[in-house]
Formats: sequence, structure tokens, C-alpha cells
Amino acid sequence: MKAVNRILKSINTIPAFPATGNKVSQLLNRIDYSVSEVTNVIRFDPSITANLLKMANSAYFSPQHKISTINDAVIYLGQKNLLLAIQTAGISKYYKKGSSGYFDKATDLWEHSVAVALMSQILSRKITGEENTTLYTAALLHDVGKIIMGEFVRDEMQKITMLVEEQHMSFLEAEELVLGINHADLGGKIAEHWNFPVEIRDAISYHHRPDLLEKEDKIMPWIVYMADEACLMMGIGSGVEGLAQRAVSELLKKFNLRMRDLEMSMVLLSDDLKRAREVISIV
Amino acid sequence: MGDLIVGISDLKISNNDNDVIVTYALGSCIGISVFDPVAKVGGMLHYMLPESSLDEKKARENPAMFADTGIPLLFKSCYQLGADKKRMIVRAAGGASILDDTNFFRIGQKNIMAMRKIFWKNNVMITSEDTGANHNRTVRLQIATGKTYVRTAGGEMKEL
Repeated sequence: MKAVNRILKSINTIPAFPATGNKVSQLLNRIDYSVSEVTNVIRFDPSITANLLKMANSAYFSPQHKISTINDAVIYLGQKNLLLAIQTAGISKYYKKGSSGYFDKATDLWEHSVAVALMSQILSRKITGEENTTLYTAALLHDVGKIIMGEFVRDEMQKITMLVEEQHMSFLEAEELVLGINHADLGGKIAEHWNFPVEIRDAISYHHRPDLLEKEDKIMPWIVYMADEACLMMGIGSGVEGLAQRAVSELLKKFNLRMRDLEMSMVLLSDDLKRAREVISIV
Repeated sequence: MGDLIVGISDLKISNNDNDVIVTYALGSCIGISVFDPVAKVGGMLHYMLPESSLDEKKARENPAMFADTGIPLLFKSCYQLGADKKRMIVRAAGGASILDDTNFFRIGQKNIMAMRKIFWKNNVMITSEDTGANHNRTVRLQIATGKTYVRTAGGEMKEL
């Protein structure tokens, strides 16, 4: 069987995405939700419950008192942070095994994903004036394709690196040429398998080439792209890919940003990452 | 025998023969390794951005974040262990960029320029460097020998 077919077939082996995040988000969107309704949804998901308590007690949310029940966590975190925490806790388990073809350490892909998610919020505040939990989820999942692609990339590493070094291809282009699919497109298909909305799927599929998505008004793929590139430049989880990435030069003009803004976002991310150490360690 | 790990926007110095100073995953950031072979003092800086004027408050809290505050601090810290500017051997690695030269993400190039300007102004020669291109690098400085090694992601370790 061709590599691309084997890769696509592997999607079906990925366990279904926990419905907890979506259920909670639907509840929170109602004006009349009650804390006990939210608590009831969460406590039937033991892995999320454990991670949620760890996260609520982490320096990132820095509670005054120890939070020991889901009820306290729901009240303390509040609507927006609760969603972020639940999505993070739910997604983390898919990253446990890491992605050996791309990275030396299993935690590298997760650390990179959390960093890009935090960076997406820094950029979103700068560009739109507010944070965005859908964008956060998309950013956290942008490299989810690497979970499957890892072993295939490892087997063809020599060919891929040769194309990158000698033909000056981006790593993504080389993946596609050698394996018939790249990790961004594959990630979009995994998100589809998990029934994520189309804007999250697009943000994942186009996170290396937002200029190819012909929906001009969609800014999510652009912000994920920018957050990803900034983290790669900072050396956070860039693995074998390094900086063999295409520059999409209309980016800064599109959002009326200057170099300085990008540099400042790196400074802000350094602080966020220090506070997010426990979040990274939940994997 | 310990590895002293230099994080992003961080620096470490040592005069202990058993130490190896190492920094991982330099992307656009630059790692500067200095060594005084007489005093047997070495140090390494991993800075992220070229100029402290971007955020002066941050630069005071963490001078190692920027080239223009981090490099002087690296030298001064080594002097405190008895190093002498005239004897310092300076090596640099990092400053990678993403593909396509005409892009807006010139942080790697800016980091290289900033370093050269600072050393030139201070009459310090860079003995060797492995900068630019588009791959990540890991740098090691062995205090016992003063040798600096650089490894590209997925590649071999070589002496810088």
C-alpha cells in the first residue's frame, strides 16, 4: 500500500475526541447555565477531571487557596479560562506518545503546541483586541498531524532532508512530495474525524500556508501561522524541521503589524511560558 | 560532572573543569560562547532579540534576553571569575531564518548584525561562527578544554 493510503488509514485508529469540551462550551454559551450543570459534565470524564485540577492549581492560574473539587475549579477559573483548561486537559492525552520522527523528546511536540496556543492569544489580543478560545483550540491542535506522520517521516528522513537541503524545499513541501501528504493537511483530516468545526479544520490545514486558503476574511489560519513561526524562531519545539518554512510575506501588512510587534510578542510569550510550566508537564 | 543548561534568554559561566555549558535549540536566537584559556573561565549566552530598546524594563529584569545587554553581562560575569578581555576566545552560533530572503521575519539576521556591531565597537574579534541558514543548533562549551561544539538538528556534532 502507498504511504499516503497507510497514513490516511491510521486516522481511524485515533480514539474519538472527548465530547466534554464541546458539551461544556455549549453549556457556557447559554445565559442560564448553572455551575452544577457544568460540574456534572466534567466529572464523568476522569482524565479531564484530574488534569483540570492540576491546571487550576498551577502557577498559570495562581489560585489563592488550593482548589480540590471540580466545583471550585469551575467557579475559580471562570468561563473563558475553564474552556481553555478543559480543551488543554482533553487534547494533552493525544500528545503523550510524542512524535518520534520529528522530535528527540516526547514532550517537545506538546510544549510547542502549548507555546503556539499561548502565542495565538497574545497575537489575537494585539490584532483583534480580545482572546479567542476557538483560536486557542486550533493553535493547540495545529501540529496534530505529526502524531501520525512521525513514524512515516522517520522512515523517509533521508529523502526529506535531501530535498530540504539540496532543493531548498520547505519541510512541508518535502513531506508532501515524498509521502503524498503533509502534516498540516493530515491534521485537518484528523480534526474532521473528530468533528471539529470547519474554521478549526482550516486553521490546522493551512497553518503553514494561510495565503492558499481562499477565504480572505478568515484570520485564524494567519494567526496560527504567525504564532507557529514565532515559536519556531524562538527554538521552541522545532525539531528536525528547523526553520525550513516558507515566509508568507503579506502577513505583517495584512494586520498592519511591524517587526517590533512580533519581537514584543516573543517577550510576552517568555513570561507566559514560565507560568505555564505545569500546563506543559501534564502530558 | 554536570551539564549547565542555558535556557532561552539566559547565561551561565563556570571555571570548573568538570562543567560543560550547553544550550539547546537555537533557532533565530544566538548562542555566544566565550573562553579565557589562561584563567580557564568560560561562559555562554543565549539571547533572543537584538535590542533592549524594545522593552527596557524587561531588559533590566533579564539582560540576557537582548544582544546589547546580554553580551556585556556575559563578559562582566566572566571578568568576576578572573577572565581577561584580551584573552577571550569568542564563538557564535545560531541566527537562523525561515526560507526566502525578502521576508518580514528577519529576526535571525537582525540578531547576527547586532552581535557583529557590538563586537566591532568593542574591538573584540569573533574567532569562529556558524550562523544563518535555516536549521536549529545546539552548542556545547567544555570548560576543561575550552572547545566549543555545535550540532545541527539531526546532524553530527562538530567543533566550532
